[in-house]
Amino acid sequence: MSAEKTDGLILRVTDFSETSRIVVLFTREFGKISALAKGGRRLKGPFESALDLLSNCHVVFLRKSSSGLDLLTEAQLIDRFRPQERDLTCLYAGYYVAELLQNLTEEYDPHPELYQAALEALEDFRQTDQMRRGVLRFELVMLREMGQLPDFETCAACGGELTEGRTFGFWVSQGGLVCPECQREEYSQITIHAGSAAVLRRLSGTGGESWRRLELSPQQYKELKRVTTAAISHVLGRRPKMLSYLP
Amino acid sequence: MARFQVAAQHPYGPSVGQLVDRLAALPGIGRKSAERLAQHLLGCDEAEALALAQAIQDVRHNVKHCPNCFNLTEDAECEICRDSRRDPQVVCVVEQPKDLLVIEATGVFQGQYHVLGGRISPLSGVGPDDLNIAALVRRVRKQGVREIVMGTNPTLEGDGTALYISNLLADDNVRITRLARGIASGSVLEFANREMLADAMKGRQAF
Ligand SMILES: [Zn+2]
Ligand SMILES: [Zn+2]
Repeated sequence: MSAEKTDGLILRVTDFSETSRIVVLFTREFGKISALAKGGRRLKGPFESALDLLSNCHVVFLRKSSSGLDLLTEAQLIDRFRPQERDLTCLYAGYYVAELLQNLTEEYDPHPELYQAALEALEDFRQTDQMRRGVLRFELVMLREMGQLPDFETCAACGGELTEGRTFGFWVSQGGLVCPECQREEYSQITIHAGSAAVLRRLSGTGGESWRRLELSPQQYKELKRVTTAAISHVLGRRPKMLSYLP
Repeated sequence: MARFQVAAQHPYGPSVGQLVDRLAALPGIGRKSAERLAQHLLGCDEAEALALAQAIQDVRHNVKHCPNCFNLTEDAECEICRDSRRDPQVVCVVEQPKDLLVIEATGVFQGQYHVLGGRISPLSGVGPDDLNIAALVRRVRKQGVREIVMGTNPTLEGDGTALYISNLLADDNVRITRLARGIASGSVLEFANREMLADAMKGRQAF
């Protein structure tokens, strides 16, 4: 067993015994890990009160060589998730981030950019007016990091350029938008305007923070959310639980 | 009995094996302790061993939830709800009966309680309808409650549950408070962490 040091976001805490807990974390350097925190239900000790859902912590853990749980030996709180105080949907958006990280990532498969995106999303959920955009951005980074980001540039059927001023379909299983000429009934349940497609390109982009200047109309949010929901549900194999709690 | 597993056959036969398995499934009891307890139950007076079995049966048959506050009780209504000295207009909301016990042990609370039976935890499949929340709202209106003290755990989900309830009661004429959090008496400021100090500063009281 070797001791590892990293930062991680707590995705799930379950009581294991009278005093111990099992903690699932999404760490910067190691991806998802599951670790036993002995004495994790006590307030005093190496964990203090750091072991709460969506808290970001400095952690030290002992990596088990065989299968089985790692052992968490220290957790020091960096930051607690503090959603907008009066807005439950901001809290539920945080739960959604935990659900996606828990269900779409593998243990010991690190994605430092996804970790960073999760922290930024939680930061966005401190304010109601940034919550929707924050959810979409996180979903898109998630899809990109999983290698499942749909193509928003060219038609998934003919490969043609998607030109402005039109309406496109979204073809989930082929992972992209389809131009008007290629649209067939079986994959035209989801349609979006060209403007929304442009927003999708910027929101899913890797080029810095320019997406933060985007302001989404309620109509745009609805269109984009249908696309990301379809894409995420396709990868997950079902609809995420938390979606029924979100706008 | 999700964690219940059938272990290797016991040398004394399947009855003892089964008892050891059942005991080992209890919280805080490992296989070694379970084995020791089973040995004790085999060796002690028969009446003593059967009294334990009877006590378990009695508890499971006789103890019910109080229809008013959902505390555990053997009577039609729990002791606290029956006590006419307790103020029915001040209700402390807690997650579990054991939380009620620890608050009650302080001896400083003179109102009644309401046990939710858990906290809202959508990721674990627990929604508002799985808890005694609708009953709380009915109670607030029927009993003319003027203050709800949120005694849910100071965790993300505990706070979320308190927020859900306070939103539900937003249009009712009821004051909603929550337990103060911060520095423990007898500790020193120097060793309190930043978060505890910040909470203590926000929740400061008149001197
Ligand atoms: Zn096409
Ligand atoms: Zn009662």
